[in-house]
Amino acid sequence: MTVVADPPVLVAPIGTRRRIWRRIIRNPLAVLGLGIVCLAVVIAILAPFVAPFPFDKVDFSSPLQPPSGEHWFGTDSIGRDQLSRAMYGLRASVAVGLLSVVLSLAVGVPLGLIAGFYGFFDPIVSRLTDTLLAFPFLVLAVGLAAILGPSLTTAIISIGIAQIPGVIRVTRGETLRLRGLDFVAAAIAGGATDLVLLRRHILPNAVSALIVQATVAVPGAIIGEAVLSFLGLGVRPPTPSLGVMLADAQTFIRDGPWMAVFPGLTIVVLTLALNLLGDGLRDALDPRESRP
Amino acid sequence: MGRYLLRRLLESAVTLVLASLVVFLGVRALPGDPARTLAGEESDPATVEAIRHEYGLDRPLPVQYATYIRKAVSGDLGRSPRTGIPVADSIRHALPVTLQLATFAIVIAVTIGILAGVVASVRRRTPAEWGANAVSLLGLSVPNFWFGQMVILFLAIAYPIFPASGFVSVFENPVESLRHLLLPALVLGSALAAVIMRQTRSAMLDALTADYVRTARAKGLGGAQVIFGHALRNSLIVVVTIVGLQLGALISGAVVTEQVFVLPGFGKLTIDAVFTRDYPMIQGVALVTATAYIAINLLVDLLYSVIDPRIRVGGAVI
Repeated sequence: MTVVADPPVLVAPIGTRRRIWRRIIRNPLAVLGLGIVCLAVVIAILAPFVAPFPFDKVDFSSPLQPPSGEHWFGTDSIGRDQLSRAMYGLRASVAVGLLSVVLSLAVGVPLGLIAGFYGFFDPIVSRLTDTLLAFPFLVLAVGLAAILGPSLTTAIISIGIAQIPGVIRVTRGETLRLRGLDFVAAAIAGGATDLVLLRRHILPNAVSALIVQATVAVPGAIIGEAVLSFLGLGVRPPTPSLGVMLADAQTFIRDGPWMAVFPGLTIVVLTLALNLLGDGLRDALDPRESRP
Repeated sequence: MGRYLLRRLLESAVTLVLASLVVFLGVRALPGDPARTLAGEESDPATVEAIRHEYGLDRPLPVQYATYIRKAVSGDLGRSPRTGIPVADSIRHALPVTLQLATFAIVIAVTIGILAGVVASVRRRTPAEWGANAVSLLGLSVPNFWFGQMVILFLAIAYPIFPASGFVSVFENPVESLRHLLLPALVLGSALAAVIMRQTRSAMLDALTADYVRTARAKGLGGAQVIFGHALRNSLIVVVTIVGLQLGALISGAVVTEQVFVLPGFGKLTIDAVFTRDYPMIQGVALVTATAYIAINLLVDLLYSVIDPRIRVGGAVI
């Protein structure tokens, strides 16, 4: 009988993805999170078909109705069905959660790679990061809303920009770490160009750190959208968004508390699900981290 | 220490210059004529001309920037075209509200966060740990403005124990001030408490398995003395850093909290400025925030190097 030794691991071996998937599936909380997130995305996409009412259907005969069999989440001050509005509102949440993170990765990853790989650029990129960090998220969002005007796009841009420093830091840190490892030295000895090093050797190995970063960023972005829309700096009425609904609720908190309760609960359930999924993903990608 | 101090000071100065440049260019990035934008959409040509002259907008950009900085350093941030009040005065009135709110929130967050973190690390695999973890997960998943609305709903409307809005300065009436600020501070501090709890817990878990803790136990020191005197003391470094790192989030949170509880603070000033297109005000608020933020970050870094001598010796600055 021959014993076949495992080959030394240089790049992520085939089957890693399946192993990670299996680790997630075995974590009941992560599965619950994944299920809720999938459901929310499906509702957001199919909102026109699954919502019981059109989101802008005004019904002056039933304003400020508490939750009932007909209106599960109640109605607002002009009789609009809150459940339908929440379902449509998920579209803004999903769009911001996805696109702002994509934006931050598109800008942050190349900058992080350059800063970590070429020492010369490091101080420049670091000062750039510090400058971005000198503006708290809301001050940045306020400035952008003043320049571009409040809208969903503005919200995506300001949340995306706010997340760039984090992406740069993670990518830079990983690049610095990986650059010193033997397999990169081997690739350099083999005559690999910088571009090949970065694309084939460093970036693929930095992916799991970036995924971990993204699992924190997505729920943060969703809350960010709600905050901006609540303040009037993001999605503007009549377009429904969970933040807009909560801004409307602020006026009627005494007479229609359900207007505040349900949209808020929707955000909490969604972000909680994303955090559970993120925790599961983190454990699956880096088992050492989770079990001290 | 001297060299580290110098380097951090220099870095902060560069960041500050860049930040002020961003603020300066921000208003100039507005579409259209900046003088007209500053004056308001429906202003007559004479006003626009006066504004153009007042702001020196007919001069080259570098000169404008130099003038802007020189004025800002001497406390002149321009005048709000909406209210006619100098921007610096408005900020001076609003800032104490936000500072009192933020200080109170930090005190609440640090107290709850550290206690919960210690409990979660010491009482492992007990309901106490699960409870602390669940609360921290909730703290990270609940948007603070909604938490604020719920708190108002229960503690100000359903059971009217606390006022739902308004502000009383701590220097005028400490008791009333506490009553007015407790709910907003709790709301603002909740997210920070969750972050501090998570970090304290993981730092404590590391510390409790460290050699020096085993040595302390071997010497026969009691449980409480080891936990608080040895393990927690070393874990506190993390808390200082976290409070520093979370400062931006705290400022953003304050804006939202002030909006929910109708507090006349810095955040409300900012939001009102956006809706009235009060550009000098936006510019002033952004500049003050960035400056304060950079200064406090520098302070936290220095404090950090005082607590942990390894940082100023080696080049490894986090």
